[in-house]
Amino acid sequence: MLVSTDRLTKRYGRFTALDACTLTVPRGEIFGLLGPNGAGKTTLLRLLLGFLAPTSGTGTVASHDCATESLAVRSRVAYLPGEARLFRRMTGKEVLAFFARLRPACSLDQATRVADRLGLDTSRQVTRMSTGMRQKLALCAVMATDAELVILDEPTANLDPTARAEVLDIVREANAIGRTVIFSSHVLSEVEEACDRVVIMRAGSPVFEQSIAEIRRGHRITARLAEPFAGIPTLLADHVALVPGAAENDSRNRVVLEAAESLAPLLGWLATLPVIEMAIEPIGLTAVYDRFHRGG
Amino acid sequence: MFNRAVWHQAWGDQKILLAAIVSLWAAFPWLYLWLQSQVPMGDFQMILKLIPEDWQKLSGVPIADVATPVGRVALAFVDPMIVLGATVWGVTRGSDIVSGPLERGTLEMVLAAPVRRTAVYATHAAATIIGGAIACGVLLASIWTAVAFGPWAGKVDPSLFTPAVLNVLGLMTCMAGLAGLVSAAGSHRSHAIGIMCGFYVVSLLAKLVGRMSDRFEAVGWLSVFNAFEPQRLVAGTAESWWLLARYDAILVGIGLSAFVAGAIIFARRDLPAPL
Repeated sequence: MLVSTDRLTKRYGRFTALDACTLTVPRGEIFGLLGPNGAGKTTLLRLLLGFLAPTSGTGTVASHDCATESLAVRSRVAYLPGEARLFRRMTGKEVLAFFARLRPACSLDQATRVADRLGLDTSRQVTRMSTGMRQKLALCAVMATDAELVILDEPTANLDPTARAEVLDIVREANAIGRTVIFSSHVLSEVEEACDRVVIMRAGSPVFEQSIAEIRRGHRITARLAEPFAGIPTLLADHVALVPGAAENDSRNRVVLEAAESLAPLLGWLATLPVIEMAIEPIGLTAVYDRFHRGG
Repeated sequence: MFNRAVWHQAWGDQKILLAAIVSLWAAFPWLYLWLQSQVPMGDFQMILKLIPEDWQKLSGVPIADVATPVGRVALAFVDPMIVLGATVWGVTRGSDIVSGPLERGTLEMVLAAPVRRTAVYATHAAATIIGGAIACGVLLASIWTAVAFGPWAGKVDPSLFTPAVLNVLGLMTCMAGLAGLVSAAGSHRSHAIGIMCGFYVVSLLAKLVGRMSDRFEAVGWLSVFNAFEPQRLVAGTAESWWLLARYDAILVGIGLSAFVAGAIIFARRDLPAPL
């Protein structure tokens, strides 16, 4: 595992920003980190970088402890903050040259190539750049390193759709040459498109973890029945489940079910239900996310 | 210990302020001496005699010493142009070591690189001290040339003012170190500047109170300005240099100790996300 946390916790007085977070990120994966504001995503990333000292628990990157060996950790990590802010008096070129000097493994040529690809005018002073341009500039500095772990905290925030697509391509290319990426975002479609696996955070803890491939295999069945729902047969209990908290389940004649795997074992049973109408759709990340953050 | 990229960045950040202080201090001695030369020595002595005796204590030197060409040049060092220039440099640059870039959000991209926090801190501190030394070098050069070629050419030995300039550098280091310490512990530069302004005012008042009243002499010793008396360092004797050594040991000692304490705090503290 490249990244590993064990009951990592951060408290500020009575407020718990990260609560006993245990997760692992294997090498070579694009790992999605999802959750609303205040879910603990940024706290987790800042703990990994050694910006914050953990209240308890441990975090390691490439077997280096994040709290006590922060320098070794940061030599293996490239980090794009949520809202990257750069030296406003410098031009884009000067910013890239600064980071190339700051980090021995950072290539100014590579940064310039990324800037060209994103259509960024690096001759402009940072103070005269739009928020999106500044975000692109920071991304150029981050992607110019050969760090084995790239942590991107909302990398596409403030970007136009073309630049967003380009950024996702850059992320996939970085992954293709062996880099591990932690991709924190609010944009579910991007995470679904780019990531191999996803963790959903809620109130400082990871509450769901699954590969995107597995999520795509699942289906959601929404049905209105002529009679009250009689329940799931015991034989099928491993294949299908009532969606907890789904609004439709409040009415006895409406039901929302989720099948984690293939629909094949369920088709016979579904045919026996007194169905008035039924919709079957792939679950997708949005439905999974809503289960934890919008009550299903 | 130091980081080259941060060094360049620090100089980029401080070059405008340095240019402003250097320009001010390059021009000030010439202007000051010219203004002083407009008042004949006899008239100046008359003015001094009008100052109440209690107030004369505030000068820190016997009033008879002030009423000489050397004494009148020396008064330039306690002019607000010098004292405020030194304080502004120290507070402005010191407060920008941690809380400034932390508040602006530029610190986290820097610290995401494999750079020690202490290296970032020490590099900024060194750039601040060296910037202060350059400003003092310009001040010394300007005093020398103004004395050597100005209205009192030949009447005053320019070398007498070297200890006074070094005392100004001591004050700059002290203020920068204390501002750096406050900055290392906080997240808002404006707070660091506010605290240092309060410290400046309280220190100045403590010195004045200590000078004005024998009963409160002890209060005066609480002020760092007790070790900033450049007007007492222009006698040109060995004692001037000893006094300077004592003053600067206090000022530079406080400044460097504060820098070290600030570096330790910065290395251990949490860095919150910028607002």
